[in-house]
Amino acid sequence: MPSLETAVLCDGLVRRFGERAALAGVDLHVAEGEFVLVTGPNGAGKTTLLRVLATVLRPSEGAVSVRGHELPRAADRARPGIGYVAHGPLTYPGLTARENLELYAALYGVSADQIGPALDRVGLDDRGRDPVSEFSRGMSQRLALARACLHGPSLLLLDEPTAGLDADGRELLREVLAEPGRTVIVSTHEPAWFEGLATSEMPIRAGRVAA
Amino acid sequence: MNRRAFVALVRKDLVLELRGSEVVLAMVTFVVASFVLFRFGLGGGRTAGGTRAATGLLWVAIVFTAMLALARTFAREREHAIWDGLLAAPVDRALIWLARSCSTFVFLVAVQVVALPAFWLFFLQDGPAPDYGVLIAAALLADIGIAALGSLVAGLASAGRAREVLLPVLFLPFAIPLVLGAVSATTGTISPQTSGLHTLERLGYLALYDTVFVLFGWGLFEFVVED
Repeated sequence: MPSLETAVLCDGLVRRFGERAALAGVDLHVAEGEFVLVTGPNGAGKTTLLRVLATVLRPSEGAVSVRGHELPRAADRARPGIGYVAHGPLTYPGLTARENLELYAALYGVSADQIGPALDRVGLDDRGRDPVSEFSRGMSQRLALARACLHGPSLLLLDEPTAGLDADGRELLREVLAEPGRTVIVSTHEPAWFEGLATSEMPIRAGRVAA
Repeated sequence: MNRRAFVALVRKDLVLELRGSEVVLAMVTFVVASFVLFRFGLGGGRTAGGTRAATGLLWVAIVFTAMLALARTFAREREHAIWDGLLAAPVDRALIWLARSCSTFVFLVAVQVVALPAFWLFFLQDGPAPDYGVLIAAALLADIGIAALGSLVAGLASAGRAREVLLPVLFLPFAIPLVLGAVSATTGTISPQTSGLHTLERLGYLALYDTVFVLFGWGLFEFVVED
């Protein structure tokens, strides 16, 4: 049974897609408030690890728990505390930025009053009524950040969050990630950019934590 | 049930459709084009066999057009990788299935507002009017079954690699009993109309099918949507 101070615990986590094991026995312990960088080459299993922790994928073998909630059995109790920024922005291009956040606010049980401040926080307050299809990659990434933080998650999972962001966007990301009281796990090819934020680094190779 | 989340999910599908007209327009075009082709092929005769054949064509066209809608709506979420956002949200995944079933049901009803008069015009205009109440009840019951089954198997198919092939392979065999029931119930509304007991039997059959696949969808969707 993990202690309350444990944010994420993986013990021999295996995730297979058919015959191929994208994760081949990952052991991971992340304490509350820790900022962990997951690094490694393309195809190492970084995205799969984040998708399992985000409760999008079920583990094939091994034990996984998020803030004491065992996955996938207690995933419904873990989900409200998780914010997930994936490769894509996870937003509908045919909806406006505000409509996308309204959808996620309804899914997470957040008041619609929070949407304005969330858009303001990422510098999109004047673009809230524009369709996301008209957004640049950087703007979509900002919206993804607003979506992931809308419900005030205690665990933030980010998959290559710096991709497509301009200098202002990166500064904004840094400010959001520096906010205290949150556990953060970031998959990245740019570990140097997170210097001063990250408390530890976990390199992954071929689905295993590299020594 | 999380009513706010459910309404938001259905509203999202309807707003996207109202803005993009990607689904219903394609469905209507497909159904009407099918009728035109069948009309010239069959001549729209009003014999007993002709009526049954014509209603069979109506439901075959509707089942195929439902696949169009289901493939498109699920593909939209897969193409933009939005599915992960829905799956990571703290809502029962059965609710996602229910919302998709409801929006598919709305699309089917919208298509039938055009398709049923067109069907009448192409195939049955020379005969007496059908029993509209029973016809509408049969159509709505069949639509519920198509939407419930379709949303379940489209969720399963969309998680696979060969999703365009997988959807009809999974959907059509399970839809056959529904099509048979819908054809029988619809034919019964057309003169010579069948007795009230037979009509109730046919509608009851469709309601039973709906109940089975609503329960399957609610219970199984969580397990079929992951990669």
